[in-house]
Amino acid sequence: MSGVQQPAAVVAEGVDMDFGTGAAMAVKDAGFALGRGRFLTILGPSGSGKTTLLRMIAGFQTPTRGQILIGGKPADAVAPHRRSVGMVFQKLALFPHMTVAQNVAFPLKMRRFNPAEIAGRVERYLELVRLGGFGARRIHELSGGQQQRVAIARALVFEPELLLLDEPLAALDRKLREEMQLEFRRIQKELGVTTINVTHDQREALVVSDEIIVMDQGQIQQHAAPAEMYRRPANPFVAHFIGVSSFLKGRRSAAGIEVNGIDCAGQAVADLAPGVACLGAIRAEQIRIAPAGAPLPGCDTVVQGQVTDIVFEGERLLCFVTLPALAAEVQIYHHDPAGLDQLAKGASVSVGWTAGDLLIFAADKG
Amino acid sequence: MSRSQKITIWGLVWFSIITLSLPTLVVLGASLTAGNMVAFPPQGLSLQWYEKIALARDLQQAFLRSLIVAAICTAVAIPVGTLAGLALSRFRLRFTTAIQVYLLLPFTIPLIGSGIGLMLVFGQWHVLGSLWPVGIACAVINLPFIIWSVSSSAVLLDPDLELAAQSCGAGRVQTFFHVTLPAVMPGVITGSLLMFILAMNEFLVSLLLVDARIVTLPVLIYNSIRSIITPDLAAVSVVFIVIALAVIWLLDRLVGLEIFLKSK
Ligand SMILES: Nc1ncnc2c1ncn2[C@@H]1O[C@H](COP(=O)(O)OP(=O)(O)OP(=O)(O)O)[C@@H](O)[C@H]1O
Ligand SMILES: [Mg+2]
Repeated sequence: MSGVQQPAAVVAEGVDMDFGTGAAMAVKDAGFALGRGRFLTILGPSGSGKTTLLRMIAGFQTPTRGQILIGGKPADAVAPHRRSVGMVFQKLALFPHMTVAQNVAFPLKMRRFNPAEIAGRVERYLELVRLGGFGARRIHELSGGQQQRVAIARALVFEPELLLLDEPLAALDRKLREEMQLEFRRIQKELGVTTINVTHDQREALVVSDEIIVMDQGQIQQHAAPAEMYRRPANPFVAHFIGVSSFLKGRRSAAGIEVNGIDCAGQAVADLAPGVACLGAIRAEQIRIAPAGAPLPGCDTVVQGQVTDIVFEGERLLCFVTLPALAAEVQIYHHDPAGLDQLAKGASVSVGWTAGDLLIFAADKG
Repeated sequence: MSRSQKITIWGLVWFSIITLSLPTLVVLGASLTAGNMVAFPPQGLSLQWYEKIALARDLQQAFLRSLIVAAICTAVAIPVGTLAGLALSRFRLRFTTAIQVYLLLPFTIPLIGSGIGLMLVFGQWHVLGSLWPVGIACAVINLPFIIWSVSSSAVLLDPDLELAAQSCGAGRVQTFFHVTLPAVMPGVITGSLLMFILAMNEFLVSLLLVDARIVTLPVLIYNSIRSIITPDLAAVSVVFIVIALAVIWLLDRLVGLEIFLKSK
C-alpha cells in the first residue's frame, strides 16, 4: 500500500458508534486505511460491530465520533443515493416485484443511462455472475445462490468505486459458499473494484482477502494480510479466532515461557520483562506428535502426554492431548491419512514444537 | 381429526354460512317474485322488478351519485391513507396512543355522532348540497380502514429494501415510487376497494349531508321503504350485493396476483 500519490479509497479515523442504549459502544475508535482496488474482509464474532462499521461506511449511519473518508471526501458529505457505492445486503434486499433483469437494470435506470447501454450492461453483468439467460425470471424463481449472484450483479453493474458486502454468503451451504468465495475473488480482480466484505467465517476471510481486519467488542484487534494475520496474530484473541490454537499460562523466562515450573521454548511478540504473567499460543498444525519415546527431531521443547480424544476430520486427525507436566491440554492436527501411526485414545505420546511456533503474549486479554 | 370432530366442524361451518347468507338469499328470492308484494318464498319467478329498476330514472341517478361519492371518497383516501399508513408503521411517532385510539374510532364513536359533527362543519362552510362533501365525509369516517390495510402491508416491508434502492442511486421520491409503493400495493388495493364499497353503502352520514336533490342510493331506498315496500327495493339490494361481490372478486384477482408475485 504505497498510496502516497493517490488518496486511499476508504479511510476511517477514530470512528465511534454509540447507539445510546446504555450498552457498550458498538464500534470504538476504529481506524484503518484501504488502498484502491484492494479486497478487505472485516472478520469478528457475532455482535462485534462489523455490520455497524460497514453501514457507517455505506453512509446509512453517522458515526458519533470520528470520520470516514471515501476517495478523500467525508462519507456523509454526499447523500446515500449519490455515492458510488454498491452494496450487497445480508438478506440481499432484491426487489421482489421486479424480474432479475429489472433488478440489475435498476441502478442504471436511476442513473439515467440510455436504454441501449442498459440492456447491454445488464446482459454483460448477468453473464459475469453466470446467470446469462435468467433475466426474465422472477426473484422467487431462483435458488438462494442464484439470488445471491443477482444481488452481486446489481451492486456491480454501475461500476461503483466501492463494493460493500455484508455477510452475503452466510446463508449458503458450504460447497456453494466456497465456490462463491472464489467467484468473488475472480470478479473483484477482474473489475479491480475496492471491496469491503463482512463475515464471521475465518476461512472465507483467509481465502478471498488482500487484507483482514479482526474485530472484537467494537474494537479493531488487528489489520493485516491473511498470511501475516495467521502467522503473527497481534494478541491471544486473534490467535484464538483464526485457526485452532492452544494456550499455555505461565511467566516470561529467558527461553520463552515457564509453565508449571518447566521452561518452554517460545517467541515473544512484544518486549516482556522476565517473570511477568504471560500466555503462550500455538497452532494445532504446529505441534508435532509421536508415540511415546519416539524422537521428535528439530523440536526445541518436547513433553510427554496422553491422548484424551481423537476427532477424524478426513484428511487429518484432531488429537486432544493432556500434558500433565504443564497442567494443560493442547489440540494437535496430525496428518496420517493411511492410519499408520496407531494413535488411539489413552495412548502415551510425545509432543513437541520449535521455539518460533509458540507465540508469547502478555496475559491481559483472551 | 376424528370423525365426530369433523362432523362438528363442518356442521359449524355450514351453520355459519347459512345464517350469514340467509338475508341475502331472502332478498334475492324476493326480488325475483312475479307478484306485487315483497314475499319469501317468491310468488312465481320473473325479472320484472329488475326491468323496472333499470328504467327508473330516480334510481339510476341515485346510483350514479353513489358511484360519484364512492369515487371521491376513494380518490381522497388513497393518498391520505397510504401516507398515513406508511408513516404509522415506519416512524416511532409521538402520540402513538392517541393515533391508536383514533384508529379504533369507527368501532367506538356512533356514526350519528361523526355525521352530525361533519354536518355542522360543512354547514358552516356553506358547501352542503353538493356531492363532494359527502365523498369527503365518507373518506374521513372510514379512513382508519385503509390506514390499517396499508400499515399491515408496510410492516412486512424489509427496511433494507429502501436502503438498497438508495444505494442503487434512487432518491427519496424514486425510492417511494419504485420500491415502497409497489411493496405496499396489496394493502393500498385492499384498502381502496374497502373504502369504495363502504362509501357506496354509506347511509347514515349521507342521510345527514344530502338534500332532496342529491339523494344517494341508500338514502333513496330508505325514503321508499318509509312509504311502501315493493319488490323493486329487493332488486336494488341485489344490485348492491352484486357490486360487493364484484369488488371482492376484483380484490382476489388484484391482491391475490400481487401476493403471488411477491411470494418467495
Ligand atoms: N440499531 C441499533 N440500535 C442499538 N444497538 C445496536 C443497533 N445495531 C447494532 N447494535 C448493537 O451494536 C453491537 C454490534 O452490532 P453489529 O450488528 O455491528 O454486530 P455484527 O458484528 O454485525 O454481528 P453479527 O455477526 O451477528 O451480524 C451489538 O451489540 C448490537 O446489539
Ligand atoms: Mg452483522
